[in-house]
Amino acid sequence: MIRFTEDELLQLKPETDGPVNFDVENFVAIIDKVKEIQSLQEEEFQQFHRRRSSHHHGRPKIKHLKPKITTDSEGWSTFEGAAARRKSTAQGANSDDEAPAAKEPVVIAQETLKVKPNKHISSTRPADSRDIVADKPTMNFNAFAALNSEEEEEEEEEEKRG
Amino acid sequence: MSVEEVTQQTGDLNIEEQPTVFSSEKEFELKHPLNSKWTLWYTKPPVDKSESWSDLLRPVTSFTTVEEFWAIHNAIPKPRYLPFKSDYHLFREDIRPEWEDATNAQGGKWTYQFKGKTPEIDDLWMRSLLAVIGETIDEDESEINGVVINIRKNGYKIAIWTKSADNEEALTRIGSKFKTVLKLGEDSPLEFFPHSTASEKHPQPSLIL
Repeated sequence: MIRFTEDELLQLKPETDGPVNFDVENFVAIIDKVKEIQSLQEEEFQQFHRRRSSHHHGRPKIKHLKPKITTDSEGWSTFEGAAARRKSTAQGANSDDEAPAAKEPVVIAQETLKVKPNKHISSTRPADSRDIVADKPTMNFNAFAALNSEEEEEEEEEEKRG
Repeated sequence: MSVEEVTQQTGDLNIEEQPTVFSSEKEFELKHPLNSKWTLWYTKPPVDKSESWSDLLRPVTSFTTVEEFWAIHNAIPKPRYLPFKSDYHLFREDIRPEWEDATNAQGGKWTYQFKGKTPEIDDLWMRSLLAVIGETIDEDESEINGVVINIRKNGYKIAIWTKSADNEEALTRIGSKFKTVLKLGEDSPLEFFPHSTASEKHPQPSLIL
């Protein structure tokens, strides 16, 4: 059996291209034509049969930074902005060298939200159960209490003017 | 006619053969014959639904010498240039690159799939060709029938087709050499599939290296 190693075959590789016994140009032309048709078919598929990238995976998840809401024992919720909770990542290890102003806590306006336990908007019932007590008409009028309150208001006004 | 005359006339008969290095050691332009004649086949990707497999698979050319091999190899497009669903097949003598061919029917293939773009695929294909035509991968007499490369969207597959599928010792030797040719590491398993399982939906390899 005649054998040639890879190195022997590589040594016999001619520096110039030799003649071949078939129509290379025609062969390459067929391949180019197929590539052209495949490219057009791919383009057509992209244009008319395009599927959403999330087709098999449900809708894409967009992560939003949720605002922090703390609710106290009385049912009042405090909205804390995302910016207030976001820590500065630019601070390096030598943060002691920074200006003192930078260390001061950033004062951020806090918004207070009132949570409505009654979800039925059309209901005549007050949203907050405490409003039931506040709106309750007082049956007894205390005249002395009313007089005291007017005097106090006048004193306060005088103090401000003085 | 005398015996001398017949001998003379017979001597004058000469079938012109291509001179090779074996016929003249002084002539450097002579060609280096290979052990076998090899035929290059190409599977054209279907561009029309009416095209059948037999329409798509065509022999491109044949060669018998090292010089002819290099001329063809340098002239044809490399695997990375070919369109998807193309195949190159290089088969010995007149063996058709089909399971149904009598020489392939009892055989199988060592195969490995290169996933992704594989920039070195042209070099790996060339190394496979050299190993096959140089007969260095085939210790036994012509156990190898051919070598195939499939160009697909998700990567490339190179396979060596063997004549038998049950000669485990010979197949293992071929597989080990083929793995070296393809520069595969221990974590890249080379699998052997008998052609008899080719029509199965999920064929299992009979050998893994």
